[in-house]
Amino acid sequence: MKRIGLFLGCNIPLRRPDIEYSMRYVLNELGVEIVELDGATCCPAFGTMPSIDLVGWCAGSAWNMAIAEEKGVDMITGCGSCYGSLNEARYHMEKHPEIKEKVNEILGKVGKKYKGVVKIWNFYNYIYEEIGIEEVKKKVKYPLNDIICGTHVGCHNLWPSKAYSTNDDNVFKPTRIKEICEAVGGKAPWYSTILDCCGMGALGSLAKEKSWALWRRKVNKMIEEINPELFVTGCSSCLLRYDNDQALMKKEGLIDFEIPAVHIAQLLALVMGAEPEKAVGLAEVPIDGIITKIKGGK
Amino acid sequence: MEFGRETNVIKLDEEFFKEFETELQEAGMSINDLRSCIQCGKCAGTCPMALAGLEFFIKKIVHAATLGLKEIFLDDSSVWGCQSCNRCVEICPMEIKPYELIQAIRRVSFREYAMPSNTIDGLQNYYKLGHAVVVKGYENRRKKVGLPELPPTTLGNKEMRKKFQEMLKNTVLAEVAPFPLD
Ligand code: SF4
Ligand code: SF4
Repeated sequence: MKRIGLFLGCNIPLRRPDIEYSMRYVLNELGVEIVELDGATCCPAFGTMPSIDLVGWCAGSAWNMAIAEEKGVDMITGCGSCYGSLNEARYHMEKHPEIKEKVNEILGKVGKKYKGVVKIWNFYNYIYEEIGIEEVKKKVKYPLNDIICGTHVGCHNLWPSKAYSTNDDNVFKPTRIKEICEAVGGKAPWYSTILDCCGMGALGSLAKEKSWALWRRKVNKMIEEINPELFVTGCSSCLLRYDNDQALMKKEGLIDFEIPAVHIAQLLALVMGAEPEKAVGLAEVPIDGIITKIKGGK
Repeated sequence: MEFGRETNVIKLDEEFFKEFETELQEAGMSINDLRSCIQCGKCAGTCPMALAGLEFFIKKIVHAATLGLKEIFLDDSSVWGCQSCNRCVEICPMEIKPYELIQAIRRVSFREYAMPSNTIDGLQNYYKLGHAVVVKGYENRRKKVGLPELPPTTLGNKEMRKKFQEMLKNTVLAEVAPFPLD
């Protein structure tokens, strides 16, 4: 039986635990044993330790990775920022043994050690590579019935590719999320702004209007070109933008569309038969129409 | 001077660059790498900040850093708005890793107290709870979707939270945190 350490981060367990529920549901369905990473923390987020100190950042990430190493498992995350921060820290320590040494001095003070053997997966790469699309297909109870998915992979899932041990073949032309959507019965056409940023990073907290406009620019184009019925993201931060912020923009009269959004883990949970109240229970843009369409036309 | 008057020019001697360069180097940016920038502008072309209205954002930053213009960064907080997306790192033909320069500039600026307030909030949450981002009402949200109120992270594990804080006290946070570590 496959085992994997579930790295939660902050936004998934605290803001959108419906993604956490979905990740657990899907991994269970696929026969993967989930190992809890007791005492794990924030990755740490790019605006915190990584912006203060290189060794401090690596120590913070190594704290989390050491927990997985103690349990003898690799880690999986549904958050692009966690995926980026952990992998980049890992990469820095691999390239610069003197950083790793300093980190282990710091961890050693509390009886911990980072070996550097753990691999950090993001959710969809784990599904794609470790499980395989054929296995996923076998578990589909409610196929997507040709629902048009507007896919958004998320910056950190792709770049910097050097820091990642697994990735799309062409990191400027990603297909893995598209392939997963199509394997479960959806359509996921290409559109011209597909690689654009959702704007959810630091810009979101420093200049909200600018960052919202960035998202609208991308999405207006997407709607014009492919008219999606559902947004599907590979990253939890992007989902906050596509769902929670979309709902706010609608309220403020900044947009005139209403398109439900899910994280790829939520999409898989739904097609595998999870209760919508749990798998997408915290969605803010109304999602009932999609649920009906998925469940209705088996 | 040859023409009998002083001209205002930047003093392009080694000293002028040195201080900032040393600081950046100590903050994790390789100055050798930085110096190989050919100002091609690819980083700026791929940077989402351009679409948000900050044209040539990262190229200007790389340029200003190679000129040693530290003051610019202390007066202007835009390095803190970078999305950390790493498009620039992926695309740079000279492998300069412009995003790592942004991080290094942030690290230098932080030590001069030039940072936005949400950085401090995030850092403080990170130290106190182990989570930089804690949005109120999480217990109810978790319950609603059938999960235990507390996650198995340091939020739900006091013993590990203490240990984590002890660990952080051995990092540079002990010297530079703008809040008490206790
Ligand atoms: S892409 Fe690299 S070489 Fe080109 S301007 Fe940017 S930092 Fe300099
Ligand atoms: S990491 Fe920052 S500077 Fe580089 S492309 Fe992304 S937003 Fe621009």
